[in-house]
Amino acid sequence: LRRDLACAALGLALAGAYWAGAAALPESLLADAVGAEGVPKALAALLALLSVVIGIRGALRPSAVYDSKNHLRALGIAGLGFLYIAIAPLIGYAIAIALLSGAAALYYGARRPAGVALFGLGAAALLWLVFGALLGIPLPG
Amino acid sequence: MNELALAWKALAGSWAVPAAFFGVAWGIVGGALPGISPSIAMALLLPFTYGMDPIVGIVMLASVYVGAEYGGSIPAILIRTPGTNAAAATVIDGFEMNRRGRGGEALGISLMSGLVGGIFGLLVLAAATGPLARIALAFTPPAYFALGLLGLSAIASLSGRSLVKGAAAAVLGLMLATVGTDPVSGVARFTFDSPDLLNGIRPIVVMVGLFAVTELIAQVIEPDWEKPAGARLKLPGRAMWKRLARPQAIGAVIGAFEGATPGAAGSVAAFLAYNEARRWSKKPEEYGKGSPEGVAAPECANNVVTATALVPLLGLGIPGSNSAAVLMGGLLLHGLTPGPMLFVKSPDIVYGLYGGLLVANLAMLLLGLVILTPCLWLVTRPKHYLMAFILALVVTGVYAIEQSLFDVALALGIGVVGYGLRYFGVPQLPMVLGAVLGFMVESNYRRSLVLSGGEHSIFVQDPVALGLLIAAAALVAYALVKRND
Repeated sequence: LRRDLACAALGLALAGAYWAGAAALPESLLADAVGAEGVPKALAALLALLSVVIGIRGALRPSAVYDSKNHLRALGIAGLGFLYIAIAPLIGYAIAIALLSGAAALYYGARRPAGVALFGLGAAALLWLVFGALLGIPLPG
Repeated sequence: MNELALAWKALAGSWAVPAAFFGVAWGIVGGALPGISPSIAMALLLPFTYGMDPIVGIVMLASVYVGAEYGGSIPAILIRTPGTNAAAATVIDGFEMNRRGRGGEALGISLMSGLVGGIFGLLVLAAATGPLARIALAFTPPAYFALGLLGLSAIASLSGRSLVKGAAAAVLGLMLATVGTDPVSGVARFTFDSPDLLNGIRPIVVMVGLFAVTELIAQVIEPDWEKPAGARLKLPGRAMWKRLARPQAIGAVIGAFEGATPGAAGSVAAFLAYNEARRWSKKPEEYGKGSPEGVAAPECANNVVTATALVPLLGLGIPGSNSAAVLMGGLLLHGLTPGPMLFVKSPDIVYGLYGGLLVANLAMLLLGLVILTPCLWLVTRPKHYLMAFILALVVTGVYAIEQSLFDVALALGIGVVGYGLRYFGVPQLPMVLGAVLGFMVESNYRRSLVLSGGEHSIFVQDPVALGLLIAAAALVAYALVKRND
């Protein structure tokens, strides 16, 4: 699948969904001439138009990009972040951030378990000191 | 001369100088931490100023602002994470310089351009508070709408290879800005019944997601950056100063006017300055690839704003930004009412504040010289530890904004979207610009139409709006012509 055509298809799908969301917005007694849905609908139409142009250009000028990168592996780091969000309220900030730091270091290629463990504990201690103790921000958990 | 004597007396006879140093140090730490905005860093210190001598407390708060706006550029250059909204434009060439082993030079340029901007802004504040305050009063909703469009006109030159994809990215940013409570009718838009989205998506969350999280994702499968051995801070030499003079001048002028306009934040000034510096550069092709000018212009502009943002506060009693609002809180806490009468009733406070801002800028230089080399050392640590720490810092910093894990999820999600944009060759900067300016453009567009009874002619009848619209159209036309060269 040509990359620009996929980009155009995603753009059109997003424009359609966004238009539908705008059309479903409730009427307000305080509504002005443009309305709450006016600008979103205009943006949806503009995105659809731009997506069509990207698609036409992609069809006329197919890119010959060969991509061997493992993008799913790259996205795994965001997965670790979402996992942190799930566990932080349960086990507390300090443990969760230490686990996240250590797991991320391993994911990025750290090899020595002792070093990773020390790093995780050190990062958690430093961040807790700055954000929790110094700035007084209530941390999750 | 009387004003100078008042400033000297206020500073020499109190703890204002140490307070300025402490404020700048606190501000740099806050600004360098993603999620701690300048206003939050100031607000955290506000209660402690209560028992202080008024001039000491006010100088300390203003110094936090100076330090925080500067501090935001450090992570922007070193780890592609703008510490503040205004540092977003610095990411473009600052991080690119760092990636090419010139991080020490980028930090030096940022520091010195910040100093130039801060001093220039202070001079403008001292000399032109009255006239600039009158300009600020001339800004009506149509003018703010036109100002937003002028900011968006930068998309034409920030779109990289494809203007169409750049425009699509800007539309995505504008779409993000429509999430939340509608500014006119109060209808909840695209909130999916989540109370977390009622206040909209904060631009800093979008920036951290698009810049930092996207980079963190990409770095999983990218080879190591080029790291110089013994990275050190490098201040600009004579030839570099000469080269930076023009972008600094552009940044200074834009920052002076943007700062004096209530509601127009440093991020708008920084992006406009970047765009104009590129337009007037002898080497525009270097922008986006690690141009020193691309660091100097936005850094100068957003540091000018730290002083000129006080123009509406001191001249009119109107806080033009969150940070100015906190400073106003500090003044009120000490029984001082900001506005024209402050110059009459408490000139020692006003001129002491000017003197304190001068000390704050010098403190920024000295503290910057001390802390930047250790910062450079930190970012040359092994990549796996550095990236893991940035991830931990980002999730903690974003949480700190509103103590919301939902915001952390949003930043991660926007990072995934940013990675997708990168995959499809869609530039991210226009999306940031759209997210930053979207609310300003839409709310003022609709307020203008309410004022005019639905007549679009209001945008050409308002002289300020008309001038800004003509400027926006001219800038877009110029960028398009340059693209076809």
